[in-house]
Amino acid sequence: MTNDVLVIGAGLAGLTTAWQASLHGKGVRVIAKGWGATHWHAGCVDVLGYWPMESETPVANPAATLPDLLAANPQHPYALVGLARLAAALDGLQQLCSDAGYPLVGSLDKNWRLPTAVGAARPTCLAPATMIAGNLDDHAPMLLVGFKQLPDFYANVAADNLAQQGIPARHVALDLPALAGRNFTTAVNLARFMQQSDFRAAVVQAVKPHLGEAARVGFPAVLGLEEATAVHQDLQAQLGRPVFEIPGLPPSVAGMRLHRILKSAIEKNGGRVYDGMEAIGFAADGGRVTAVYTETSGRPRQHRYDRVVLATGGILGGGIVTNHAGEVGEVVFNLPLRHPENRLEWFRRDFLDKQGHPIYRSGVSVNENFQPMNGRVVYQNLFAAGNTLAGFEAIRERSFDGVALATGFVVGNLVGN
Amino acid sequence: MRTIQTEVLVIGGGATGTGVIADLALRGFRCALVEKRDLAHGTTGRYHGLLHSGGRYAVKDPKAATECIEENVILRRIMPHCIEDTGGFFVVTPWDDDAFGDRFMQGCRDTAVPCEEISIPHMLREEPHLNPGISRCFRVPDGSADSFLATQSVAALAQAHGAQILHYYEVKQLIRQGDRVVGALCYDLVKDEEVAVHADLVVNAAGAWAGKIAHTAEVEVNVRAGKGTMIAASYRIVNTVVNRCKMPADGDIIVPVHTVSIIGTTDEGVPDPEHFAIEPWEVQLMMQEAAKIVPGWHDLRMLRCWGGVRPLYQETKVADTRDVTRAYTLLDHETRDGVAGFITITGGKWTTYRQMAQVTVDRVCEKLGTARPCTTHETVVPNPFEQGHGRQHHNLGQRLADVEKEEAFGQLICECELATRADVEHAITQGEAKTIDDVRRDVRVGMGPCQGGFCTYRVAAIWHELKKPSIEETNVTLRDFLQERWKGLMPILWGPQLKQERLDELIYLSVLNADHLPGPRASRLGPAMYEPGTVWESDHAHV
Repeated sequence: MTNDVLVIGAGLAGLTTAWQASLHGKGVRVIAKGWGATHWHAGCVDVLGYWPMESETPVANPAATLPDLLAANPQHPYALVGLARLAAALDGLQQLCSDAGYPLVGSLDKNWRLPTAVGAARPTCLAPATMIAGNLDDHAPMLLVGFKQLPDFYANVAADNLAQQGIPARHVALDLPALAGRNFTTAVNLARFMQQSDFRAAVVQAVKPHLGEAARVGFPAVLGLEEATAVHQDLQAQLGRPVFEIPGLPPSVAGMRLHRILKSAIEKNGGRVYDGMEAIGFAADGGRVTAVYTETSGRPRQHRYDRVVLATGGILGGGIVTNHAGEVGEVVFNLPLRHPENRLEWFRRDFLDKQGHPIYRSGVSVNENFQPMNGRVVYQNLFAAGNTLAGFEAIRERSFDGVALATGFVVGNLVGN
Repeated sequence: MRTIQTEVLVIGGGATGTGVIADLALRGFRCALVEKRDLAHGTTGRYHGLLHSGGRYAVKDPKAATECIEENVILRRIMPHCIEDTGGFFVVTPWDDDAFGDRFMQGCRDTAVPCEEISIPHMLREEPHLNPGISRCFRVPDGSADSFLATQSVAALAQAHGAQILHYYEVKQLIRQGDRVVGALCYDLVKDEEVAVHADLVVNAAGAWAGKIAHTAEVEVNVRAGKGTMIAASYRIVNTVVNRCKMPADGDIIVPVHTVSIIGTTDEGVPDPEHFAIEPWEVQLMMQEAAKIVPGWHDLRMLRCWGGVRPLYQETKVADTRDVTRAYTLLDHETRDGVAGFITITGGKWTTYRQMAQVTVDRVCEKLGTARPCTTHETVVPNPFEQGHGRQHHNLGQRLADVEKEEAFGQLICECELATRADVEHAITQGEAKTIDDVRRDVRVGMGPCQGGFCTYRVAAIWHELKKPSIEETNVTLRDFLQERWKGLMPILWGPQLKQERLDELIYLSVLNADHLPGPRASRLGPAMYEPGTVWESDHAHV
């Protein structure tokens, strides 16, 4: 395999880039310090949830609202992507997940409103089929099921908030003999348990007496890892009604499923994905990146590739770092960044501020080919994708996954061609 | 209006006020204490946690030094669960005057503060992260104290002896009848109603707020608020209290408390104890001064920053607040101002709270015409959290051992500080918690590196289950706590802690969408925010 494309970062942006490039037959390597924000987030694809950001009402139709966003913020990464390529990226991921037996449901012209683990309505564009029965535009009564041993999901707060918003909801916390003696279990452990049929039978048996008039049953997002679809279908069959998952505190089992599917797709096409491989430096010559170095126990290891994609994330992902002196830096190539000049301007007074904190808009500026710019192209063969890009507030907009996916999709095709 | 009748009313739920009420209760007085928020919400809960040996004042304020070492010995005996015997060093760094060491030794001798000089290799063996350029090192019996636990414990002792502790009671106005104070008109923040507390005698122990309180009875007490800014770093980079051996100045001490190391402090007069900013220059100065003691301090992860206001009493105007004596002041307003039934105890420091309480209650006895001896110096203050739990939350290693050996209470709600579900439930159902922030002061949830990222949701859900409030109340309780944590993060957010905060945003805004839950965005029980900082450079930075 040839050394065509090196992707730094294995979050949604990096993996999407590598997957798309690998579809073009390119030799692809992904190097990452660790896995990305897929493991923290909800396992859905949020494209645009609130616009304007201070709106109390979620965006109903992202396709219809995106032009307003782009008019207000022409620097937004979505402006470089364009609506058509965004739709193509969503289609591509849906096709991939569908082929993997884990369908993502939705389309760019409609946001779902799905329940969160506190019972708020979460706007999202694509959600796994395992979550869809939670749809809050449907007012059918629901039973929410928690587990006493899982401290990352509490059905009581979620049910009471949903009831307050007009969705009949009750809750129960299961205390299963199979988990007795465990003080603490994680979503990942429970997801593994859920893949065992006798554990599922015990869950069903414990839930049934509480069903009452509930027309659907919600669980934390722990319904299996590799076998999520089968687990989900089996529970629906046994409970005789629709079942849905609700994302809880990290780690995100649903996010890990997306990660697995993308990683498998890259590997199937001959690409390689390595974690524990942190990029620590690079060499450049004649306006091109000639090598990226990662640390090993002996000496720095060289990665020489024709094209290099920076997908290390923003402040959350670790691609952008800050220090006490108020300096903001890009971690691998020391690229020029857009960021607030003065540390006094980094934050607003309220944690939940509707506009978000300006520091989080820091990032790399790119041209229409996603090449980092400093007045001119910095390195001819360097590209950037995902939340390392400047000029948008991914969390307030609820565009975190959408930007990662769409920019990764576009860059993957650019470097693959 | 609801009324409460008592013999002695104490205003202020900090170290001084709780010390006074415990002493009153032990001497058999009927008494009540009002505190406008939770106990230790003011200065007591916002200091660096030093149990003074007296070394800090040995040269500058010998009277204060002697008071400190006397009380140091007593507190170690009566409340061992609140004190960690870290020991203390006074070190002469390359920025300090070598000769000051001799003055320091002499000062300690004169004030009876035990002090020995140790060699630099010896010092570095004990504390390898200290600056190897340090030229002299003196060992003194400093310690570190858990002021939240101490205040809780002393208040519990008072309650066990019949005292009434009223949380979230804000004094609006002292009630005066002619030339006599006969009580206080209070506002109950939780129930949103006014309550009149009548008493034969009122003790004003409101610390930096004492002037404001006295003013409502037309008595002028000039208490200056001296703001001190402190920063907690995420590790115990030292296990010994380390002081700079020089005249007291900004950023001259690092105190290891629980899991963190605290650098303190600045000292800036502020016009109002309630409204002040943590200025960027203060943060920069703390970082810079800490690095002189522990090189590489900048690379540590800063967890949190806070400012407390020292109550500094003065009869005459003094420009630099550090020149005001740290010794306390007792004012009898009958002799001073012709207003009977009212005394003020102010100034002082945490280490001397018990002695301040003793002289105050001695005066109370005198005024009420009774002679009852003080016993607080020989009365052990029990740990109110010990019963049924066997839990000491003084030391993280000990908590880990407890969690490991006793499976029964192992569900960790706060993984950073090892607070279990049983701890949280106990604080919610047995304690006086009105907010999640009050639970934090009891069991330290949200005080570790993730600053509430994971436990805020968990505690809110347990709160909702046990307290059964309306869901809107639970929602605002959760949002208030997120904002409370944010308050102390903003000034020190950079590096890994900024990354952490973005993860906390991802969780609470994006995964949970907690900003779009029903109910108000914030409540009156939420945090009082610092004013925005504006000044990068300051000529006040006198180091």
